[in-house]
Amino acid sequence: MVASELTQYVVTGLLVGGVYALMSIGLALIFGVMRVVNFAQGDFMMLGMYLTYYYAVTLGIDPLVGALVTIPPFFVIGLVVHRVFLARVTGGGDPNREMDAQLILTLGMSLIITNATTMILSPMPRAIRTTYATQAFAIGPLLLNQARTYAFFMALLLAAAVYVFLTRTDLGKALRAAADDPEAASYQAINVRAMHGVAFGVGIALVAAAGGLLATYYPIEPNVAVNFIVLMFVAVVVGGLGSIPGAFVGGLAIGLVQSLTLLILPLQLQNVGVFVAFLLVLYVRPQGLFGRRARTV
Amino acid sequence: MASRSREWLAIAAVVVAGLVLSLALTERYHHRVLTLVFLWATMGLAWNIISGYAGQISFGHQAFFGIGAYVTVLLTAKLKLTPWLGMLGGVGVAVLAAVLIGTPTFRLAGIYFGLATLAYPLIFRIVMDFLGYQEVAIPMMREQPGLFMQFAEPRSFDLLALGILAATLVLSRFIETSRLGYSLRAVKENEQAAEAMGVDSFRCKMIAYMLSAVPAAVAGAVYAHAILFVVTPEAVFGVLVIVQTLTVCLVGGAGTLWGPIIGAAIMIPVSEILDTTMGDRLPGIQGVVYGAALMAVMMYAPEGLYWRVRSKLLARSRRSVGATRAAPAAADVGAVTPAGLAAAGPVLMDVRGISKSFLGLQALSDVSFDVREGEILGIIGPNGAGKTTLFNVLNGFLLPEHGEVHWLGKSITGLQPHVVCRLGVGRTFQVMRLFPHLTVLENVMVGAFAHGGSPDHARVAALAALELVGLADRADVVPTGLTTLELRLMELARCLATRPKLILLDEPLAGLSTDGVELMALMIRRARSSAVTVAIIEHTIHALVKLADRLVVLDQGRRLAEGLPGEVTRTPAVIEAYLGSRWLARHGATQHAEDLRP
Amino acid sequence: MSLLTRAVTLALALLLALPVAGPPPAVAVDDVKIALVVPLSGRWARQGQLKKMGAEMAIEEINAQGGIKSLGGAKIVLREADAGDSVEKAVSAAQRVLTREKISAGIGSWLSSFTLGVTEVAERLQVPWLTLSYADNITERGFKYTFQTSPVSSAQAEQALDLVVDLAKRNNQPIRKAALIGDNTAATVFFFKPLREKLLQAKGIELVVDEVWTPPLPDATSIVQKLRATQPDLVFYGATNFPDSIQVLQKVKEFGVKTHIQGVGAWLVTPEYVKTVGKELLDNIQSVVAAHPLKGQEELVKKFVQRTGEPFMTQDPLCSYAHVWLIKEAAEQAKSADPKAIRDALAKIDLTTGPAASTLSPGRIRFDERGRRIGAVPLIVQWQNGEPFTVVPVALATRAVIWHK
Repeated sequence: MVASELTQYVVTGLLVGGVYALMSIGLALIFGVMRVVNFAQGDFMMLGMYLTYYYAVTLGIDPLVGALVTIPPFFVIGLVVHRVFLARVTGGGDPNREMDAQLILTLGMSLIITNATTMILSPMPRAIRTTYATQAFAIGPLLLNQARTYAFFMALLLAAAVYVFLTRTDLGKALRAAADDPEAASYQAINVRAMHGVAFGVGIALVAAAGGLLATYYPIEPNVAVNFIVLMFVAVVVGGLGSIPGAFVGGLAIGLVQSLTLLILPLQLQNVGVFVAFLLVLYVRPQGLFGRRARTV
Repeated sequence: MASRSREWLAIAAVVVAGLVLSLALTERYHHRVLTLVFLWATMGLAWNIISGYAGQISFGHQAFFGIGAYVTVLLTAKLKLTPWLGMLGGVGVAVLAAVLIGTPTFRLAGIYFGLATLAYPLIFRIVMDFLGYQEVAIPMMREQPGLFMQFAEPRSFDLLALGILAATLVLSRFIETSRLGYSLRAVKENEQAAEAMGVDSFRCKMIAYMLSAVPAAVAGAVYAHAILFVVTPEAVFGVLVIVQTLTVCLVGGAGTLWGPIIGAAIMIPVSEILDTTMGDRLPGIQGVVYGAALMAVMMYAPEGLYWRVRSKLLARSRRSVGATRAAPAAADVGAVTPAGLAAAGPVLMDVRGISKSFLGLQALSDVSFDVREGEILGIIGPNGAGKTTLFNVLNGFLLPEHGEVHWLGKSITGLQPHVVCRLGVGRTFQVMRLFPHLTVLENVMVGAFAHGGSPDHARVAALAALELVGLADRADVVPTGLTTLELRLMELARCLATRPKLILLDEPLAGLSTDGVELMALMIRRARSSAVTVAIIEHTIHALVKLADRLVVLDQGRRLAEGLPGEVTRTPAVIEAYLGSRWLARHGATQHAEDLRP
Repeated sequence: MSLLTRAVTLALALLLALPVAGPPPAVAVDDVKIALVVPLSGRWARQGQLKKMGAEMAIEEINAQGGIKSLGGAKIVLREADAGDSVEKAVSAAQRVLTREKISAGIGSWLSSFTLGVTEVAERLQVPWLTLSYADNITERGFKYTFQTSPVSSAQAEQALDLVVDLAKRNNQPIRKAALIGDNTAATVFFFKPLREKLLQAKGIELVVDEVWTPPLPDATSIVQKLRATQPDLVFYGATNFPDSIQVLQKVKEFGVKTHIQGVGAWLVTPEYVKTVGKELLDNIQSVVAAHPLKGQEELVKKFVQRTGEPFMTQDPLCSYAHVWLIKEAAEQAKSADPKAIRDALAKIDLTTGPAASTLSPGRIRFDERGRRIGAVPLIVQWQNGEPFTVVPVALATRAVIWHK
């Protein structure tokens, strides 16, 4: 295997992983702060794709910008969805019981979103035609698809912004406090419930933006989530449940594993590589690359 | 007992109701719906065995479902083997898969276990596609339909599915009322406490997992024949299978065998009715309504319909637990040997040079002492001295870097807690580790199971232990209604039920009033006089001075002093450790450390 | 507690016992009912909806010109059932629709696994079933009630290869190297198998790339990279999942791979491709399909386009259109709406006229004892300026083929 071929595999994997990474950060934030496994995460991404498409088609906004513009409306949607539905189910009490209820709740949400979208917007696939989806940057022998490269850097930017938000701003710190120890946080006059709402809003907004970036090269249809939801969860777990930088790295790692698996397994078994890597991480280091180790005795 | 036979009666009633329905319905499609209800209820019950009873939430149970389906159908397609036998093959492979998946995966806690189980069916799906089995149509055997599970009469399928459901109900009930069931619940509620009470948690989980794979595989095989007619990886290994299972169980209520039945009986007909009435004419609407129904149920009854309805009904008839009661009878004082006068017997436990560090912090440094038969040994020291860490090493929760622990002459260093327990070393915990959803009696029964026996034997032994500590009349109450004193007594009883020779009590007096302390002390002495040696951690000296025969003092992980209480409390080093060198300098060494109250 | 459970269970039993089907809309007693079991919601809703459009158009035509004459002008009524996106739902839909009322014949179900399950139900309930699915295994089960109007994948492979090699030769660009890229769905697998095993070799063509993936495809780079490296003259292409296909085509353009792409199936000639990748990218890409508007069907296409707003007509609506007409003919010949009679009529039918025959190339409808259409030949369709046209067989073509590398 020539070095340049190997490098191409690595580069391809990273570019693919970049968007997985952004999709996963939202999930990780929601899980980290609220301990909610959001089944509907992929469907919010799908809605983000549609909104970006709408911006592109009616207002002529390039999807790379359109993806950013999905953030404010989806943040609000997230706040509302949390307030109206999730808050009721994650009030207090037995943490084990709550998690089960959320699963079914978010599952119900997912069904409603996909089916309603099919009915209202029709199942006809749509796409945003960009010139850069079929062009590549040539760096030596390497070819970097332009759309994916732009999406990668935008994802990196957004992830960095989230990181700064969480570590430098008061609201971000309050969020992390609520995630670490809700009881202690409430003693510090942090409204834990409001923090949950913020986390959900940000989480949904991030995945909607990821959808917008995805829409630069991927067709849009009501059931698009099904192609990504499992990978999102895998990325979050590999990175470390509840860790934001972890989820980002996890997404990149999954993209890399997908690509590099082709060196040892036939194409049909590509995702087997991902799932085996997933198992290995869980067995060897269950807290993931960046997660905190579970408390022992 | 009356309530137990009532449960069997209820199971019989459900089966009879299913039978009646099956005979009453006439339309082919209705039979299909009924078959689906029974099959998904069965799958839910299978899931419940590992995820409800054992508390190990699995997201990968469809692995067994799919194995059952594929093995059976492939055996028919390739070898013309009848599925009635092929199913056994499917079950065999599924149980083997359970062992192979469970062995590395049970080490993982909580949600990590569930996530790891998810990976397997995802892998199987891809592999099946790769092997060319993306669509295996069940060959139609017109000559011998019955032999190949291809009934012309749709009712036959629901009767078959009902039979499997009934068998799984019986299996579930047996587990519930068996020793395994108690052990599983203990593991679910508090795995470490269960281990300390002699429950081999890995073995229990593995048995539960293997048992849960059986009905799942059978359900998968029947599902392929009754419902699908063509097996695809997506249809039997896909996410929709576990989604349906989770829906059925969580809507109905997890941890009970009624949950999946209620969940299946409601959600599946709802789904089919939606498909029939709206779905064909306005496709997609059935998904919206079904999703809304799921959300509504979860918002109204997040714990599941069964538990919700039950708590509503019980709330009306619940007797109040609030009435204050007198402290347990402190009679029979005469049978107790006073402190300090017990003749010290041979060495039971020999602790030699134990060292343990965490992430660079030295928690224990070369700690050595012994515990002699019949004594009450007190282990004291300021906060952070390493006392609890020491106990964790002694009974197997932690492995020391250096040193050994010898019990009755043999090394027990590094043995698992449940093994140590069965060898005769009992333990209570500083932060009480109860089984909160078990009654007091059931909590103690878990301990009684340490030496085997049926639930009935365990019940008798548990009652005896409760009598000993004076809690017998609280036997059927759930621990949330108890006072701290009663909880500590329960923990003690649970520990005593494991029939230990030595009990390690970790701060049993914390949080008790003066009366409570007196009573606990009395119980501890009572235990000692029934041939149980006691090692007790406390960090307030004055409490132990009257109770203990000897004291060992730890400070910052080292053994600071050892000897009779009177001597130890006058040792300057001990006083310094508790109150600091400045205090020592100011007040001198003559002050009795009994007066030390941090 | 057990009392409660019993009460709840019995209450639920009553709920179950309620008639689950709503009353069907009022129809005249002797109407002929045709079932359509296709995905109308979920992942494949678009394809199912297209099939429904074709069936509806046929039914309207038939009823407008007097219904089924030999049954006294009986009208045809469509009974659609949503197959959803799982085999369980598809089979339930078939059971539901076939037992609710007397159905004379049925059509469906797009996904070959759905078709397999649905035709089992139809076989047991003895209702004739027409399908356009290509997979060989559909008619290899010894069924009497399943009728497959499309040429089977393995036959398509052979015929398509002949046609393409011939075309290439006539344009002085003989095929020396070929590639097989596609997913592992049944029709594609059945198509590629004979090619891989004997057909290419028999023609002296070297197989240089053989890449099969499990949908969804995360990225097409490795596949197209291989195409770029080996430069095959012909690529047989089987990406039935739309996003996968888009990724491959975009990557082909991005890497500047110049080759002849021969799709395997009608999924490659749907309108959404134009909107997604643009007509320039699609130009000259060809696909092997079972049906496509032929010379002489211009009116039909115009009517369809006007009715539905679709830019053009493709295999799915065309086949269900043909199937409905075929059932009509069978009912005429059987002089009965009874499914068994219709099945018998189909089994011995020999049709050379009418919309059904003119749609299904080469214009004659006869079935063998397995239910396969005798003499069925595939068509080759080519994208030209944003619309797919039949180019082969030349006699039925609506445009001449454009061949360049």
